[in-house]
Amino acid sequence: MKKNTGKKPQARFQSKESVLFFIFIGIFVLMCVLSPQTFLTWRNLQSMAFQLPELGIFALAMMLVIVSGGMNLSITFTAALASIVGGVVLSTMTAAGMGPTITIVAGLATFVLIGFLCGALNGVIVADIGIAPMLATLGTSTLFEGVCLNITKGGAISGFPDAFLWFGNASVLGIPFPMIVFVAVVVASYFLLERSPFGFKTYMIGCSPTVTEYSGINVKKTLRIVYIISGILCAIAGVLMSSRYNSAKESYGSSYMLQSISAAVLGGTDIAGGYGKVVGTVLAVMIIQVISSGLNIFGINRFITTVVMGAILILVLTINYISSGRKASSK
Amino acid sequence: MNRTQKFVAVLMVLLVTTGVAFAQAKKPTIVVMPKLVGIPYFNASETGAKKAGQDLGINVIYTGPTTADAAEQVRMLEDYISKGVDAICVAPNDPAALTPVLKRAKAAGILVLDWDTPADKSVVDLSVHQIDDVVYGQHIWDLLVKEMGDSGDYAILTGGLSAANLNGWIDAGLAYAKTKYPKLRLVTDKIPTDEKQQVAYQKTLDLIKAYPNLKGIIGVSTPTPIGAAQAVQEKGLKNKIAVVGTALPTDSRPYLEDGSLRVVTLWDPAKLGYLTVVLANNMLNGKKPYDGQEIANVGKISVKPDGKTVIMGPPTDFTKENAKNYAF
Amino acid sequence: MKVPQRLKQSREFGIFLILLAVCIIVTVAAPSFFSIENLFDILKGNVVLAIMAIGMLPVILTGGIDVSVGSMVAAITIIVGNFLMKGSDNILLAFVVGCLSGAFLGLINGLLIAKLKIPPIVATLGMMSIISGISLYYTNGNWITGLPKNFIDFGRTTLGSFYQQGDEMIGLPVQLVFLVFVAVLSWFILRHTLVGRGIYAIGGNRVSAERVGYSVDNITVFLYAYEGFVVGLAGAVHTSIMRQVDPNAFNGFEMQVISAVVLGGASTLGGYGSVIGTLIGVALFAVINNGLILMHIPTFWQKIVVGIVLIASISFDVTQKKYWESHNTKVDIEEA
Repeated sequence: MKKNTGKKPQARFQSKESVLFFIFIGIFVLMCVLSPQTFLTWRNLQSMAFQLPELGIFALAMMLVIVSGGMNLSITFTAALASIVGGVVLSTMTAAGMGPTITIVAGLATFVLIGFLCGALNGVIVADIGIAPMLATLGTSTLFEGVCLNITKGGAISGFPDAFLWFGNASVLGIPFPMIVFVAVVVASYFLLERSPFGFKTYMIGCSPTVTEYSGINVKKTLRIVYIISGILCAIAGVLMSSRYNSAKESYGSSYMLQSISAAVLGGTDIAGGYGKVVGTVLAVMIIQVISSGLNIFGINRFITTVVMGAILILVLTINYISSGRKASSK
Repeated sequence: MNRTQKFVAVLMVLLVTTGVAFAQAKKPTIVVMPKLVGIPYFNASETGAKKAGQDLGINVIYTGPTTADAAEQVRMLEDYISKGVDAICVAPNDPAALTPVLKRAKAAGILVLDWDTPADKSVVDLSVHQIDDVVYGQHIWDLLVKEMGDSGDYAILTGGLSAANLNGWIDAGLAYAKTKYPKLRLVTDKIPTDEKQQVAYQKTLDLIKAYPNLKGIIGVSTPTPIGAAQAVQEKGLKNKIAVVGTALPTDSRPYLEDGSLRVVTLWDPAKLGYLTVVLANNMLNGKKPYDGQEIANVGKISVKPDGKTVIMGPPTDFTKENAKNYAF
Repeated sequence: MKVPQRLKQSREFGIFLILLAVCIIVTVAAPSFFSIENLFDILKGNVVLAIMAIGMLPVILTGGIDVSVGSMVAAITIIVGNFLMKGSDNILLAFVVGCLSGAFLGLINGLLIAKLKIPPIVATLGMMSIISGISLYYTNGNWITGLPKNFIDFGRTTLGSFYQQGDEMIGLPVQLVFLVFVAVLSWFILRHTLVGRGIYAIGGNRVSAERVGYSVDNITVFLYAYEGFVVGLAGAVHTSIMRQVDPNAFNGFEMQVISAVVLGGASTLGGYGSVIGTLIGVALFAVINNGLILMHIPTFWQKIVVGIVLIASISFDVTQKKYWESHNTKVDIEEA
């Protein structure tokens, strides 16, 4: 549907992403004005900084896959599975009386390992067997959910060492730890996607897999890595979530899947693949967070906030369509 | 993209001119959060909680997730903490999941209570129970045996798997049954229904199919016995399977009438809501509850020796005969 | 054309064989599976899923997707429920209201996708948020119970007498009529109308379809509206079965619908799929679920089994397509 019009990267950056920036500033100011005493408080900023990273990391995990021309519908259940298996490790070791440090290290390693494995499975199914990513990840998400339920029998895993709560709830110099993790992930994603050969290949595959193949690039290998990284990102989000809820359950995070697609698309990522900027996605996540917190503090019913989010998504895409309709003359 | 910028600017101006800073009257604000909203039990407690707010002249915000989801409760509470309220009374779907957010509430100086189902004891300032968990659990099993006899196959349908109150009753009942009714046979692990009557209905149908010799069903969590009775009624098995449990008398009546539901036992949820708000308000004013205290519109409460656990009173059994006398 | 005919025979037939195999396995493990009572229960329990899957089929055939069906059907049940309680208790009217509301919502989806060129997943995502937000705001999670008695009785009527239960003779659930209606209607549209041919054409190759003269935009709007209409019917049917309205009853349901359609052999790759296939897919889904219950296997395994079957069947689909493409390569390149 849409192809890169061949404009200079700089010009495109100025158009889409700077609009997002202005929208963000606009909405932030709006919320400050609507709720002067409560929005612009340290407490609220901190609270937003605690909530944002989960969606942000999921959005980046989703964006990466979308840029490669696919979609990852299994992100939430990857995170859930990582949380549950990691949680089992954490709680068993805690119950066995082992020290918190070694428990947490083992736990974290488990989280990342499961994220890696889930991503690898997705990667193999998409790259090697060749199933359409949306359907492949639909299948794996059902599979992961089933494994989660099998382990938990529908309940939640708890019994984590107290120190584990630190990841999702503590602040360093006033900055919530999840935010620090998020910033690290953003920087890493930026360099990985927009400043490395691997990232370049990913964009190419998103534009046209056939052309990329003929260029001599190993499409399959790149795709596998894309899904693995996506899986590991989900695992990191899983760590933050299970620390925040002090438990692991297959349903935690289920709302994030569609929200992360919204964030990626809102952030300017082309759903057909081939274009997407990390900064755009981050701005989109910030916009979503500010709207959600701001409306809530102002006293708007949560459900209306949901409606607003959906409307904004459609609105932004409509604006994109109108503006690209004016610019582009090709089809 | 000037068009968009202009659009946003216009939007801002419009909203700024219409957005008036709401100055809140400085009444204490208490948030009462049930496991979920939308089921009759918690609708009834809402009436009680709101009435207490009126009687005492304080702000009561009664709100909760629309599904029995602990994660959603955490998110909502986080928002209220940043809004700044005076007290939070929550019925946690999962006590472990709510511990971090309740700790943060305490750190922010907010009074923390649990009601209907306990949270982690170390985090709450007060724990409001409607009945004594152990006694209640045993009582439910007694009711079952009275209806189905003391031997045979039975199953347990519960609400949320992590709900501490439900698990408390089930564990007490099972322990009791081990010694007192050894010939009772539990056919499978307790089955969750997420506080949804529809799920209880479906699961009961599945149970009937899977275990044709089933003689009894216990449904804890108020929508559950109704759903189970619905299934039993539909299959015409009311004489074969005895359904007992915890449910509201008004919802139960149609099923009590024809016997698909034999007996239910509960308390007045409106009273529970009322009590919770009253106790929270008292605590905000520095008054702790004591054993034998008489609370207006509620009755005499008992407080356990730890000083933190309040028990509202004994349960009431509702049967075909007396269900019509109750308005909840 | 002969080539697609053979392909069709192998695909749906293959899935049908899988279905038969599963039925046999389950009957051996739990003989009560093959009782009329059980089969009727499966029917009643899955008729809504079946109707919705048939509605989703045209969307998937064109390579689109609709994740808003879960919230749509929930909203329809709320509308129908409110209509019955506050409007009239005329059954026919209630169904009409349901279908029209559904068609309206579907129309909005179609317009967003066709006229504003918003990608289907994004448009339906946005709509899903909007619809579910409005539904939950309006009801606040509260159920609607106590529907008019004549509606409840209608939901309970059965056709024919097949087996004994208690003191009554039970027949086919009346909701089956609606399923048959939707199935036949969809089959007719897809196979015997220009619009239907257009749907397959778009799925096969959109640009070619346009060049041949199909109005892709209009067809797209139509098929989303049609899907909405079918979903509306499903909502009314559901209300007649459940006899109450729970706004949260369909959370996550869209994934089940999509899975069922895909299980039924519909392919987003080649404009391939059929009503029969979808029905078989739903049957497979239902039988697996039912079998697990009867065999006392925890239902958690159902998801694992469905996930594996999903992946396996799509793999089969893809490898088949690749096989055909490698055999037809010469023809394709010349035409391009």
